[in-house]
Amino acid sequence: MSVTQVAPGLDLVRARPITIDKVESWFSIHPGERPLTAVGEALVRGAQLAERLREARTDVINGPSGDAVAGDWWPGGPARRGSRSAAGEMLFRSGGQWRIATGDPSEPLETPHDGIVSEVRPGSGIRLRSTSHGVIGSDVLGGPTSGRLQILVPRDGHVRTSEIDVASAGAILVVGSSIDAEAITRARAVGVRGLVVAGLGVKERRDAAASERRARTGVHGLAPFAILVLEGPMSRPIASPIMAILEAIEGRTVAIVADPACLVFDLAGTLPKVAPDLVRVTAGPLAGLEGRWGGLAGPHRFAGGVILEAGWVRFGVRPAVAVPLGDLERFA
Amino acid sequence: MTRSPRTLAVVDAGGATTSVSLLVRLAGRWRFVATMAGPSGTPESALLAVVADRATSADTELASWPDLKPEALAAIPVLAARSRRPKTLLIIGASRRSVGEMEAQARRTSWRIVGASTESHDPREMTALALDPSIDAVLIGTGDPPGPDERAALDDLGALGGSIARRRPGLRLIIGAPLQARRAWSDSLGDDVGDADRITVAPAAAARGAGSEALRDALGALLVDPEDGRDALGAVAVTFAEILGLRVEVLDIGFDGGARHLAEPGAPGAGPTSRGVVTAAAGLVPPEPDDGTVDEVLAWSTGSLDRHRMSDRLRDLRRRPWVDGTGDGARLRLAAGMAALARLATLTPELGGGPPADLTVVCGGAFASAPAPAVALAVADTIRRNGTTQLAWDHARLLGPIGTIENESERRSLLADLLEDALVPLGSLLVAGGVRGPRPTPRRTEGRHGRLHLDVDGTVTSHDLAAAELTFVDLPAGVGAAATIEFPEVVRLGKRTRRVTAPVSGGLAGLMIDLRDVPLSLPDRRDRRRSRLAEWGAQAWPRDDR
Repeated sequence: MSVTQVAPGLDLVRARPITIDKVESWFSIHPGERPLTAVGEALVRGAQLAERLREARTDVINGPSGDAVAGDWWPGGPARRGSRSAAGEMLFRSGGQWRIATGDPSEPLETPHDGIVSEVRPGSGIRLRSTSHGVIGSDVLGGPTSGRLQILVPRDGHVRTSEIDVASAGAILVVGSSIDAEAITRARAVGVRGLVVAGLGVKERRDAAASERRARTGVHGLAPFAILVLEGPMSRPIASPIMAILEAIEGRTVAIVADPACLVFDLAGTLPKVAPDLVRVTAGPLAGLEGRWGGLAGPHRFAGGVILEAGWVRFGVRPAVAVPLGDLERFA
Repeated sequence: MTRSPRTLAVVDAGGATTSVSLLVRLAGRWRFVATMAGPSGTPESALLAVVADRATSADTELASWPDLKPEALAAIPVLAARSRRPKTLLIIGASRRSVGEMEAQARRTSWRIVGASTESHDPREMTALALDPSIDAVLIGTGDPPGPDERAALDDLGALGGSIARRRPGLRLIIGAPLQARRAWSDSLGDDVGDADRITVAPAAAARGAGSEALRDALGALLVDPEDGRDALGAVAVTFAEILGLRVEVLDIGFDGGARHLAEPGAPGAGPTSRGVVTAAAGLVPPEPDDGTVDEVLAWSTGSLDRHRMSDRLRDLRRRPWVDGTGDGARLRLAAGMAALARLATLTPELGGGPPADLTVVCGGAFASAPAPAVALAVADTIRRNGTTQLAWDHARLLGPIGTIENESERRSLLADLLEDALVPLGSLLVAGGVRGPRPTPRRTEGRHGRLHLDVDGTVTSHDLAAAELTFVDLPAGVGAAATIEFPEVVRLGKRTRRVTAPVSGGLAGLMIDLRDVPLSLPDRRDRRRSRLAEWGAQAWPRDDR
């Protein structure tokens, strides 16, 4: 049965995809970060994809003069004044000398999920093709990472520092609609591997990024950590179809990747079904509420004297309410 | 025998929303019937079905047309403009100065810009930027001849360009002639360059002579898209000027860019002329709004959001530009639109120097959810020139698609048919500068500094005008009038005068008399600035319950 047969006009409500199949993850690397895999290799979670540089820099070396081209790997060798240069990626040759991208200590970039390497571009990134599903988010901070999924609060909850303890070490926590910066720092400190949150504001992002920078400066080999933001900067309850998936995979090992921004998971059975007439309000005074589509309402006058196309939405047993079509989403 | 179509669907698929309008041919001319917009990704067929249903429900003649039956809608001819994903240009130069000069040119195109120079980035960082898959093209430029601050880096830049071209075989590379002449370039590039057409010569950007515009033209030429509605607005402005015999200015603020075109009818015997700029910098909200963008929007906002909260709202607006179009959301969107208009005005000083155009047409999704008087006020606040202009609004977003019609006579014919339907008259804006006098306060009402006599069909009404204030006068759409303004002192109103009479026409916003400073002077303190903006906004936003 098609969606339009369920309720006339529902196809005018924007369909939001919530999952993707066969996730193809792209892991960005920078010049000087050496890929440790090749196209066609089958990798399991935890396998090394590349070596990451902690403090990258450009060195000037005499280097090879023969057939070497930009992008080749320089294994290290004699440098100026008799010293030995570090290994690195050759960038370009100018004035008879090569510029190479190199760095001091390196950290491994590990794949957070199984897959087959489909593309390796030195200095740019590595693509990993998988058979896994992904819950689509808005964006990801940090990562990639993996861990067992643990739901800490309901979908409209807010997590504070005191709610995070060492029992969650190694887990990826679902923390509801929002989380404060202190709680993120604590989660990082106790060994949580990742967070899934509906909304994360700019202030919390900046605080978390600054905290991460400080931690990385002081500690070598810090475990990867990522935050998957499902909705964007505004705090909203997690959409119930997404929460249903998270509940279905709780306890399994999942991964957070940045491109595409998603939570990667394996599920042998079928995904939870979404009612075809379920709509969610994404903005305005009713933001976060979910209801049933009741048909087109036509142009309506809203706050501020603005006239917009609207649709009727029934929230529970209450009479249908006209909501701007642009403020509604359905789930695909 | 084929019959010419009598229905036409006009689609404007923008970056944020898609608009579908229905035109029908009645009594030998095209008429606009109905329109509807939905978030980007909404099926155009679904929008057209609703539009056709409303048209046939409202008009019995149309209801009998087989073309408008649900099963026949798929056969309706479509005139479409479609926005493509904006492209990003990496600009690399030998010095901050040279990169700044290139950015100044590139900013007046539809490219999004990332800049790097050998003074601010090391080779590894520049290579990392160039290898980033989000970069669509790389411009490596110098002056011609290179400046003293550039000469030391020419070999490095040439070698960098060659290595980038080699490592990204599909990448568009625009590189200066002095760099292509270096051996480091050819050595680094090697023999197998792949598609040689992807590498072009970058004109010098140095602002010495004609070279500066050549770079802009070269960059713009790489983005020519016959289906892009924003690019097509220049052609629409020319056609308007030709049809109406008026100076016409088109202002467009969309999701990923903006445009400003000024067309003039030209001397007798000569065709109309047009100048304009299409720029990504005048988009509603940039992809990653920085502190500068936040401050720009806060400067036009009457809300009490702090910078973090405003940043959140702008990021949300960027992510889902079709949501939150009511209440505070509509005000925020218009504040972002005004910030974009202000950026557009800054980028187009050559178009803002003369008197205002006879007709100013406002386009773009940024204004879609704002009340008409608020749209007029947004233009008055940001595109300020002494004189009179008539304001109109492309509410159904027809102009972009019409501009994509390549055949000039067909475009003129369609636009001439739709002249009364396509544009919603907002009213007339009369801006007088140099008006001195006390500003009225709640305790002091003797701030009157001028008088308006409005003659509508021989009936004259008079209104007091106050210095540094804005006055809305009701004047319905379709009504013409003569507005005479008198001042005790000489003011600037196109010319320096104490008394002037100008023909004006009505619209949804009526007649706006604007005696505020040109350019607009606002208090530096945010609370006072907000208060002034709110005072003026109260006249434009209906049922303002603030």
